[in-house]
Amino acid sequence: MKDGEIVMQMSEEKGTALLGAAYRHLKVSYPKFFKMDAISKAGLIASEILLADERERFVPREDRAVVLFSRHGCEADDIHYRETITDGNYFPSPALFVYTLPNVVTGEIAIRNLYRGETSAYVLEKFDAGQIVSIVSESFEDPVTDSVLCGWVDCADDNNVEALVFQVENGDGEEFTADVINGILTNYK
Amino acid sequence: MNGQVAILGCSAVTPLGFTPEENFRAVLEGRSELRLHKGEFGVREPFVASLFNRDAVRKEAYKEGIPGYGFFDTIVLLAASKAIREAGIDPASEKVQFVLSTIKGDGTPLSSSAAALREHFHCKHPVTVVSNACISGLSALVSARRMLLCREDIDYIVVVGAEVQSRFIVTGFQSLKALSEEPCKPFDAGRTGLNLGEASAAVVLGREGAGWQIVRGVVRNDANHISGPSRTGEGSYNALRALLPAPEDLAFISVHGTATAYNDEMESIALERAGLSEVPVSALKGIFGHTMGAAGILESIVSMKAAEYGIILPTAGYSTPGTSRPVNLSASPRRFEAPGSVSFIKLLSGFGGVNGAVLFRWG
Amino acid sequence: MDVTTKELKEAIIAALNLEGMTPEDIDDNAPLFGDQGLGLDSIDVLELIVLMEKKYGVKVINPIEGKHIFGSVATMAEYISKHSA
Repeated sequence: MKDGEIVMQMSEEKGTALLGAAYRHLKVSYPKFFKMDAISKAGLIASEILLADERERFVPREDRAVVLFSRHGCEADDIHYRETITDGNYFPSPALFVYTLPNVVTGEIAIRNLYRGETSAYVLEKFDAGQIVSIVSESFEDPVTDSVLCGWVDCADDNNVEALVFQVENGDGEEFTADVINGILTNYK
Repeated sequence: MNGQVAILGCSAVTPLGFTPEENFRAVLEGRSELRLHKGEFGVREPFVASLFNRDAVRKEAYKEGIPGYGFFDTIVLLAASKAIREAGIDPASEKVQFVLSTIKGDGTPLSSSAAALREHFHCKHPVTVVSNACISGLSALVSARRMLLCREDIDYIVVVGAEVQSRFIVTGFQSLKALSEEPCKPFDAGRTGLNLGEASAAVVLGREGAGWQIVRGVVRNDANHISGPSRTGEGSYNALRALLPAPEDLAFISVHGTATAYNDEMESIALERAGLSEVPVSALKGIFGHTMGAAGILESIVSMKAAEYGIILPTAGYSTPGTSRPVNLSASPRRFEAPGSVSFIKLLSGFGGVNGAVLFRWG
Repeated sequence: MDVTTKELKEAIIAALNLEGMTPEDIDDNAPLFGDQGLGLDSIDVLELIVLMEKKYGVKVINPIEGKHIFGSVATMAEYISKHSA
């Protein structure tokens, strides 16, 4: 969904399979997507939906930060990496290991969109709109930051993916508050 | 207040000692616990790392009233407890917030370590975990500084950085061919990769205080590659640029200096682009190894100690220049004059293309 | 052990998640890295080193050798055939 409108709907697929279907549906051309772990895929697809109508994309910029929150960090990928270092099958995979960092999803969004501003990843004990809003608002203290791509991107495992992202800007418009986030969640459910 | 926050207490817990002073002395004297480990954690290839004597840590934790936690939580609580005592604050107060910096925690969900911290100190607010790869410690300081500046309901923030090593992390870095088979040599022509290390460190930040201040700090992305440093030093350059013009009392820059071929070369380029090539530089990973989530806080604290004594720390492992751009390093300690005030910059970079720079000042 | 380039290409596609690619899309002699060829990056090389050890029992120890080995699918196949048991 974007701004209350349904972008695509699937009943069969879930988790990373759903993200793969979304990649094709949105006609994103970024083959590196298939190398990513679940949370990076989720962050990338969510940001593609969010930014689809933006003019002047893919021009290097320092004024947009990427600040994402999750509960499970990169645990979905940790499981896959751990399978490559068991006693019976000991071939540590570099391609899996590089995604076992909760912030790589923010880096992938920055690389895709050429954002040279701040990128930060936070792990919260549980979803907390108040905490998200304060940390995002505080990130505008950086004088270079005028815009923040932010939100909740969480993957408990490959089959459970949640993403709710926002584009928050300095200026007039609807204020970014915990009530706004909670309102969206209530309406959606 | 002009955007500064004060450091009211700090701690450093490493295999070399349990206080900032002991750790500073170790760097000054070139003592290290970087040793070859064979079969540790069930890792098949030997590796060099700075690892805790777990019994010694548990004994220290017991003295501090921290029994019965997993090892990772123990070093987190130990560092936090020491810094809190020095700052003389009540951790259970409504006015105190906690921020934890780590990359892998103890392998269980990071949120469970946040819970341990909250429960032990009876914190009234949810603990925020910053997990921003190898710059996590600096990210946590940047984030905590902003929190203090923006939130009236918080007066103190306890920032703890910690990392323990494991089969997971060591095999991962081995698979990336990033580990050196000998003690690492930051910026040296013969450098062959990094060593991993274990540590925890903490600072307590408040709005006002007489000693060390965090003046500013930023995070910037290379937007280039998730594991390879930018060839042009883009993110580190932009992070340094945000702190310019360099203060007149800038004594040194404590760089990342992992001793991988690409990182150190990248930093030399970033320093040159920022016009900081002549500023004295020191790198600490030849002593502590790369302590990941603890690095930003540990290396800042040890640098604070050095600056207090008017010393630019030696870079252990360095002897022959090994980057395309000049870097003002030395294998031996150097002295500087600091009449009145002194400042230094802590610089780090990490996976996901992140780079962080923080400016500290005394006086 | 001889390895055919077709078999090796299938293994590479699977190991590197080269979505939508078939062995026919990859020329035996095209460079694996850089803009003209498959456009693989540094992590992909490391993953190919794991693939060679896991599937063919071939260890690449000297990274300088790597440059030549991973020049193309053909050079990779040649190296595996020469060094595997």
